[in-house]
Amino acid sequence: MREPTFLILTALAAGAQHGYGIMTDVAQISDGRLRLRAGTLYAVLNRLTVERLVESDREEVVDGRLRRYYRLTPQGAQRLEAEVDRMRSNTAVAARRLRLLGGTP
Amino acid sequence: MDDNFRTSDPDRDRVAALLREHFAAGHLTRAELDERITATLNAKTSGDLRRVLADLPGASPVREHAAALERGYRRLLAFYPARYRRIHEDEMLAVVMTVAPDGKSRPGIGEAADLLLGALRVRCQPSRVGAEPAWRDALAVLSVILPVVILLISALQAQRWSSPGTGELWVLQQIATPLLLVAVVLLRLRRVAVLTAVGLLLWLALLSGSGTLLSGASDAPGYLALGLVVVALIASPGPRRGLQILTWKHAALVVIATLTLGITTSHQLTLIVIAVICAGMALVSSLSRWLLVLLAIPAYAFFFGGPYAVFGEPSSAVFHVATTYLPLGLAMVTLAYLLPLVLLVLAVVAARRESQRSSRTPSSSSLT
Repeated sequence: MREPTFLILTALAAGAQHGYGIMTDVAQISDGRLRLRAGTLYAVLNRLTVERLVESDREEVVDGRLRRYYRLTPQGAQRLEAEVDRMRSNTAVAARRLRLLGGTP
Repeated sequence: MDDNFRTSDPDRDRVAALLREHFAAGHLTRAELDERITATLNAKTSGDLRRVLADLPGASPVREHAAALERGYRRLLAFYPARYRRIHEDEMLAVVMTVAPDGKSRPGIGEAADLLLGALRVRCQPSRVGAEPAWRDALAVLSVILPVVILLISALQAQRWSSPGTGELWVLQQIATPLLLVAVVLLRLRRVAVLTAVGLLLWLALLSGSGTLLSGASDAPGYLALGLVVVALIASPGPRRGLQILTWKHAALVVIATLTLGITTSHQLTLIVIAVICAGMALVSSLSRWLLVLLAIPAYAFFFGGPYAVFGEPSSAVFHVATTYLPLGLAMVTLAYLLPLVLLVLAVVAARRESQRSSRTPSSSSLT
C-alpha cells in the first residue's frame, strides 16, 4: 500500500471528512511532508470507493459549493489495521537488528 | 443588451461564480446567496441573469480573477470521464478553489499536471463498484478479435503471394496455425491459446527470412499483433469474458477494416475507410476507445511504417501517400514521430469533447 493511500485511510479513521479536510489532515499527520493535491486525492478516493474500502457519507452545500463527506467502510478499517500490523512487524524487526548492530536502542 | 437571448450553462456557471464572490465580499447574506443561486440555475434568458446581479456592485479585479480561475479549472476537469464528472466535478472544483491562493487567475502548472494525471488514473480505474476496468475488458475483447484479424490477413497475404504453380495445400499451410489459434480462442481455452500464440510467434521468428505469413514485408506488425494477443490472453479475463461482451458492432468494424486493407489497392481509399472507422469507434463508448488505443500498437507499424519502414519494403498505405508529396527522408521522420503525436493530440481532444458534451445530461448510475 502506498503512502498517500495509507495516510488517506488514516485520516478517515478519525471520522467522516470532506476532500479539503482530508488534505489538511494528511498534511498534519505527515508533519507537512506529504501535501496532497486534488487530482491525486480524488484518484485515490475513486479507487478506494471501487474497492469498497471507502464510501460517501453525506453531502452539504457550504458557501454555495457542494461538499461531499467520505467515511471508512468496515472492510476499509480492516484493511488499514492489516497494513498497520504489517508495518509494525517490519519496523520491529528493523529496530531489533539496528540495536544488535550497535545503533540506537 | 437584449434581455431575451436564451442563456447557456457556461453563462449560468459564470454568474453563479460571481454570486459566490459577492457573498465572500459580504454583499450578500447566506440566505440571499442560496436564493439567487437557485434563481440563476432556473434562469432561461440573459435578462433573468442580469436581474440576479442587478443591485450588486460592478466587477472587481479580485472577482474577475476568481471567475477566470474557475473557468481554467473547469477546462482541466473536462479531461475526466463524463460519468465521473457528473458526480464529482462540483466537489473537486470546491476543493481546488479553496486551496488556490487569492488573486490567481490561472491554475498553476503543478495543479494542472496533477489534475491531468488524476484524469488519466481515473480513466484506467473501473467505473463502477465491482466492475472490471475498461482496459481489461478491451483486452478480453481483443483476445478474441485479434486472432480472427490475424487469420484474415494471413489468408489474404497467402492469396496475394500464391502463384498458379503453388497448390491449395501451400495456402492451407500458411493459414493452418492462425486457424488453430482462432479455434482454440473460440473454444475459450485460454492457456492453450497462450501456448499456440507463443508457438506462432517463435515460428515467425524462425522463418524471419521469408516473412510472407503475416505482413508481406516487415514482420514487425505481425510480431506486435501476436505479442498483443499473448498480453491480452494473460492480462485479461480471457476469451470467455471477451465473447461475453463482444458486440457485433465492434467485431464488424474491425473485420471491415482488415478486409479493406487486404482488398483495396487504392491507398487513399484505404486510409479514408480506416479513418472513418476509427472516428466512429472513438465516439461510441469508452470500451471502443480503449480498443482503438490498444489496436494502434500493431496498426501503427502496419499502416504508417514508422521506424520499421526503414528496414523492410515499405508496403504501408500512408508511406506511399506521403512519399508522393514529400521527399523520402522527410516522409520517414514525419511518419515515425510527427504523425503519432498529432494522432495522440486529436484523440485527447476527442475524449475531452465527448466528456464535456455528455456530462450535461442526467446520469442513471453512480459510483457513490
